[in-house]
Amino acid sequence: MSEAARLPLHRRPAFWAGGIFAAFGIISALRMTDAIGSTTGFILMVIAMLQIIPLTRASLAKQRSTGHLSPAIVRYTRRFLLASFGYMLGLGIAVTIADRVDLSEIESFLIALLPVIPVLGMIWTMARYLIEEEDEFLRHRAIMASLFGLGGVLTLGTFWGFLETFEVVPHIWAWWVFPVWAIGMGLGQCWMALADRRANDGLGDES
Amino acid sequence: MKNRLKVLRAERNWSQQALAEELGVSRQSVNAIETGRYDPSLPLAFQIAEVFGLAIEEIFIRE
Repeated sequence: MSEAARLPLHRRPAFWAGGIFAAFGIISALRMTDAIGSTTGFILMVIAMLQIIPLTRASLAKQRSTGHLSPAIVRYTRRFLLASFGYMLGLGIAVTIADRVDLSEIESFLIALLPVIPVLGMIWTMARYLIEEEDEFLRHRAIMASLFGLGGVLTLGTFWGFLETFEVVPHIWAWWVFPVWAIGMGLGQCWMALADRRANDGLGDES
Repeated sequence: MKNRLKVLRAERNWSQQALAEELGVSRQSVNAIETGRYDPSLPLAFQIAEVFGLAIEEIFIRE
């Protein structure tokens, strides 16, 4: 039996990641059908986001057990967590104000900056990680995962853009690029972890 | 690039974790180098050679 399979459900990162996606999906569906208002939606999103804390704990524990943890990763995780909460807060405030107040162009510009500043914090966090990571293999993995995400967002973005031009699909807001890139980065990490597992199955890993 | 890391480690009865701590890297890094999935940089290769008391070419072999 694999190590992940032995872990109780609440100690598995996939459990909490799935919980976040499921909660976001349900909340989005409720909002789209007008079953809940924007304020309720925002509050529910914040509550759903709290799952990021156990997700982070489970991820760090897993990385520690598989020998992937370094002090730079711990700092990166802490900073990213903080920036994620800042993003949710900025987004919530921006959407709430935009929904209730008739904003001028300059005010809209300033409001749009609220969720962007934490995104800059996330990008800074990633850059700091690459600078601070002393383990060259882990740094290599992080760079490969970033490129994986970048390749994904560029391909999907370009393809979607042409589909939009040919009026096949509806318009998508550009702020989706960052979450799609981050999801791609996560998928890249998963793909490398699977490749590691396959290689170790053949050669016999020591834990 | 091939390497004799696993054999050399076994000869000294060192675990991957012990070697990783000696080199100041993660155990996964040692594992990736050992299984040929990652070629270390020159500074890390020198460090590995120093830990084993061997020359780089006695550990890493060009394919």
